[in-house]
This record gives sequence, C-alpha cells and structure tokens, in this order.
Amino acid sequence: MNSSPRLSHSAALILKALSLGYCFGLDVMEVTGLPSGTVYPALRRLERDELVESRWEPEEEAAAKQRPARRYYEVTRAGKTAALAATQRYPLLARLLPEKRS
Amino acid sequence: MSPHAPPPLPRFDRTLLRAVEKVVPAAARAEWLRTWQAELWHTHHRRGARRLSAADLSFGLMCDALWLRAESWRVAFGGTAVLCLATLAALCVFSGVLTLAMAGGWRPLWPHLAGQLQHFIFAAPLVTFVSFGTASHLQASPSFTGRAIYRIRRGLFLAAKTALTLLLSFLLSVNLCMPLHAFLPATSDLLQILFFVIFALMALRWVFADQEQRCQQCLRALSSPARVGRPTYNLLEWNGTEQVCKQGHGLLSVPEMESSWRQSSQWVDLAPTWDQPASV
Repeated sequence: MNSSPRLSHSAALILKALSLGYCFGLDVMEVTGLPSGTVYPALRRLERDELVESRWEPEEEAAAKQRPARRYYEVTRAGKTAALAATQRYPLLARLLPEKRS
Repeated sequence: MSPHAPPPLPRFDRTLLRAVEKVVPAAARAEWLRTWQAELWHTHHRRGARRLSAADLSFGLMCDALWLRAESWRVAFGGTAVLCLATLAALCVFSGVLTLAMAGGWRPLWPHLAGQLQHFIFAAPLVTFVSFGTASHLQASPSFTGRAIYRIRRGLFLAAKTALTLLLSFLLSVNLCMPLHAFLPATSDLLQILFFVIFALMALRWVFADQEQRCQQCLRALSSPARVGRPTYNLLEWNGTEQVCKQGHGLLSVPEMESSWRQSSQWVDLAPTWDQPASV
C-alpha cells in the first residue's frame, strides 16, 4: 500500500526544489517561479505533515558575515518518498527544475 | 549597533512586520518575526538572476501569518463539540434566512409555517424516539473520576445536537416543498412531512454515530483509527478498529462484528500517566 500523501502540483514542485538542494524560501520562489503567497504557506504545510523540517543557521556564522541567520528547510525521509511519488505522478516535474550548483 | 549586527530593515518593512505580526498567534510570533526579518533582509541584499522586492514577499508574509492563525484555530477547535454545535447552528441560520427569502418576508411565511410547525411538533418526538430506540449505545466505563460531570456534558451535547439537527431537517424540508405549495398545497404538506421524516432519520443516525466516535471526557472527535486483530482469528480474539482521543483521555474499541469477545463498542480510559515511561 502506498502511504505517501498525495501532494498538489505546487507542493510537489516545492518539495522537489527542496530535494534538489534549494533550501531557503527565497531560493524556492526563484527556482519554481511560484509567488511568495504560495511558497511560504506550502512550506508550513509540508513541515506540519513532517515531509520537511526547518532549522536555523548557526548564529555565529551569520553574524560573522554581518547578516541575520536564516531559516532553512530539509526534506525528511518521508518527504523523499513523497517527492519520489510526486515525480512519478507528475513526470514533467523533474525536467522543470535544475539541480542546484553548489 | 554592534560591529557584527546586520544593517536594519527599511522603514516600510518594519511597519509591515509590525502590522502583520498581530495576526500571528502569540506563541509563534517571535519565531515568525525572526524568520521574516531574515527573509526581508536577504531580499534587499540578494545577488541573483531574478531580483525580488519586499513587495514580492509582503503577500507571502501575510499568507504565512494567516496560515499560522488558521492552523492555531484548527488545532484548538478542530473536532470539538463547540465547533460541531456552531456549524449546525450556522446551517440552521442559513436555512432560516433561505426560508425567509423564498417566502418573501416574515408576514407571508408565518401562516404557512404555523401549519408546518404543528406537523413538526408531532413528528419530531416520534422520529427521535425511533432513532433513540434503534441506536447502539456505548458501554461507558465506570472507572474515571468525575464521571457524573462528563455524563451530564455528554447528555447536554447530545440534546443540543439532536435539537439543532431536527430544526435543520425541518427547515430543509420546508425549503424543498415551498415552491410547490402555491400550486398544490395538500401535496406539498404531505411531501414536507415525508421529507422531514427522511431527513431527520438520516441526520439522527449521523448524530448517534458522531456521538459514539467522540471522547467521553472532552467530547472531541476521536482520531487515528487502527485495525486490531485478524478476522480469521475471530474465535480466538476480537478484531476491529481502535480510535484514540488526541488529548490522551482514552480509546474506543469498535468490534468488526458482534462476538462474545466484544458485543459492542467499548470506551477504555487511559490513566493520566499513560504517556510516561513505566517505572521499574
């Protein structure tokens, strides 16, 4: 039985972007082209459903670069399964987003 | 300003954050503010292919704040008795307004409604009696403390839910038959009683099913249904479904079929320390 939740196209796109290494809200907005009103509530929903988890950058690292620490998102194991299922459901998803250059 | 502190946000951003933060629940406000201060700061100091402005993010931060508020309400009121009664009351008000609008005011409605109310007063107790007689009842566990209070609250909730459901069934049946009343008054009256009985029987069936699937202490809807036992082992053990109260008050065992193991649904109280590790 497939237990991964069914995601909307936007949520699947956001999850796919996160799984490709775009870990900040602004990066996700930029790479997916989705508006902020879609991206940020979707990130909250994904976090509530335990498909992603958020962490804060180390404060010292950010302070050294004279910028505020940012909240970043990581895909959980359940999220990876859901992203895989979403890619099967929306086959064009993989072609829409480029892998993040490190 | 400390040597490592980032430059402050522009005035527009600070005003926007101050205005929207009031929407965010108090418990999540500090983290929300920190998140959005950082996001806005990085928007202004971003080097990328597509430059984003604070205006691009303003809709996002409002949606984010509203989502947090809605989520806090969902957690606080989701599945509660208050939400159930409020929803039923709202549906009654909506149906009442619809009835008034269809009749074109209170004055033309009243003579029509007076006759229908007599039918309602006669039919409602009969329908309720039949529904109560055929509904299955939970075997209430006598173990928990303060059970009289819980029983009274459950009874009051059931009474309020039944009354609102009957009223809603009545208003729906009136709305459905009102267009026919001008041409065939006798047929319309007969159909109205028939529709009322059908709607009320279905609605009361839901009332009892809903009542059974609520926590006996806090009256919240039970969740997380889990299959227990195997149907092929029916002679050796019971099988069915278990649902738990999210607040940890207890769990409900619903047998798949009536057997000597379990003849009807059974409520099991959990001790207040159920989620603490057992001391050895």
